[in-house]
Amino acid sequence: MMFMTHDDLTTWLDHLTKELKVIAPRDVGKGHVLYRPVTNSSEITFDYTRPDLSAKEFLLPHTERLMRFEKRADQLEMHDLSCEAEQIIFGIRPCDAHGFVALDALFRDQEPADAHYSQRREMTILVGMACPQMWEGCFCTSVGGAPDDPSHLDALLIPVDGGYAVQTVTDKGEKLLASADFKEVTDGQDRTLPEIPMNEIVPVLPPEQWPGHFDEDYWMRLGERCLSCKLCTFICPTCRCFDLRDEPIASGANLVVHERMRVWDACTAPNYRTIAGGHNSRPLKGQRIRNRYYCKFHYYPQDFGPLGCVGCGRCVEVCPVNIDILEMLSTVSAMQRELDVLEAEVEL
Amino acid sequence: MSNDGTNPMRPYLGVLAGIKELAADIRLFQIELQNATGKAAFADYMPGQFAFVSAFGAGEAPFGITSIPGRGELLEFAIHRHPHGKTTNALHSLKLGDPVGVRGPLGNWFPMDEIKGKDIIVIGGGIGGAPLRPVISTILDDRENYGGLTILWAARNPSLLIFTEEYDSWRATPRTDLHLTVDQRPPDWREGNEGLITTLLENVGPSPKNAITITCGPPIMIHFVALSLRKLGFTLDQMLVTLEGRMHCGIGKCGRCNLGDIFVCVDGPVFHHSQVAGLMESFL
Ligand code: SF4
Ligand code: SF4
Ligand code: FES
Repeated sequence: MMFMTHDDLTTWLDHLTKELKVIAPRDVGKGHVLYRPVTNSSEITFDYTRPDLSAKEFLLPHTERLMRFEKRADQLEMHDLSCEAEQIIFGIRPCDAHGFVALDALFRDQEPADAHYSQRREMTILVGMACPQMWEGCFCTSVGGAPDDPSHLDALLIPVDGGYAVQTVTDKGEKLLASADFKEVTDGQDRTLPEIPMNEIVPVLPPEQWPGHFDEDYWMRLGERCLSCKLCTFICPTCRCFDLRDEPIASGANLVVHERMRVWDACTAPNYRTIAGGHNSRPLKGQRIRNRYYCKFHYYPQDFGPLGCVGCGRCVEVCPVNIDILEMLSTVSAMQRELDVLEAEVEL
Repeated sequence: MSNDGTNPMRPYLGVLAGIKELAADIRLFQIELQNATGKAAFADYMPGQFAFVSAFGAGEAPFGITSIPGRGELLEFAIHRHPHGKTTNALHSLKLGDPVGVRGPLGNWFPMDEIKGKDIIVIGGGIGGAPLRPVISTILDDRENYGGLTILWAARNPSLLIFTEEYDSWRATPRTDLHLTVDQRPPDWREGNEGLITTLLENVGPSPKNAITITCGPPIMIHFVALSLRKLGFTLDQMLVTLEGRMHCGIGKCGRCNLGDIFVCVDGPVFHHSQVAGLMESFL
């Protein structure tokens, strides 16, 4: 394990911000921390919990320009718009990096690959910062993650006494860290990794057991208080629904320019399933909440591999009417236990 | 990103080569693709597949392709102008020669080879029946390889019946019957029946023996047609349907079209009714 002092880290970050686009946790006031582009290390906060928003927007922007259409008289020209340059997301929490695994499986690995996502992903380096503890509402350890999980990062920094223990994970990470100044641990100080306080593990029903609970009344009861405000999906690191829109960009006597934008969308919205003829196959709020959760714990793992939840806890924090994924997970597990008991009785 | 077609969201450029009025607020758009990659992509699309049509600046929307490659290079789409539909309104305001975009062909298709030799009953309702036209054209152009063809076609009123220009040629083809019905028959309209498609279906009473049905229309129609077909002795495996889904990408990414764990855009739009009946989440 390599070691870096805090001063070495800031020096290195100052150097990086000169060469590359660096995104890092930034205190935007009133105690709110967001992943934001920074131009030097003084803009970065090193003392933060879970940023209010995930880092999703840097791979799947809330509004992304996909194509530009330029119309002159009857002539139309179409241009693909490509992504910006290389970017480093510094200080990303392991759960937010884990979120990219879900997005990768769908946008990059499932044919046909999404050109914009794949390109941006290729040009992104993730330097994570381990959480010194699990925060309120976090349950990453229940869905295959951990506060110090390096697996989905290019490199991981773990806060230790006097600085950071540095773990490189990929070649990308190693190359990037080659420009940093490391210390050998020689002064006998304790640089061992701290024990991280953990939250309780919540039971998560395995993907194949979810279909048995689809028709439970529970979902409609849960949905009754949903406001269809879509917050839970926008702040989620893995929710990926999108819409496409053509927006006017410029217009003149001889030239009209539009761009086709990809924008975030949300399956909790009332008309999400309304088709051209007006028919809506998911009119009830409970049906839509159910869809969101089934997407995460049954459809997504079944269709693409990874779970669609990384346990960041943000949807619990943000929901104005307190719809709680942890409570939902416990309830579904309880329903399964009841089912198991019933089945055991039938066998007797 | 280059312009070589590696961006799956990029449409092929086409121009509007023909516009025909099909019915009230429904037009047939004939599109000529402008370059070799687009033409190659649409060289051998199949009945039942769909594509997104772009009205540049307004947006794109998915439509079943109503042409077949065997009848020429023009791609045809029957498009209903929805009062609040930005894209369909923009498409309806286009003129001949205007540029349009086409992205596809997408989705699966009717198993036209597997159903050779069988009697085929196609059941269409309103604009939703548009994807049946390539099925009919395919059978008519290869008539001896298919059994009897019974076409049951419904609309709210006669002015909403589509492809009326072709009815005479359908009727004139051997072993081919056309039955029409409308919800409300104007006094001067003698071409067909009055009443629901299910009533027409039960009156015509096709035999399930060595037969296959193909139903396209609104979800509620698909549901009731299946009930009538069951009465006539058809099994769910003998029924093919297309499902309409709200779609934004057509390639399994945007999440819009899921019904439980399937995506209508890539797992469909063509399904056996037995699959649809077994879906976790109802299409109704
Ligand atoms: S806890 Fe909520 S916001 Fe976080 S990954 Fe899971 S579903 Fe998304
Ligand atoms: S945040 Fe809460 S109220 Fe808003 S859509 Fe999600 S579950 Fe419904
Ligand atoms: S239309 Fe986007 S997933 Fe099917």
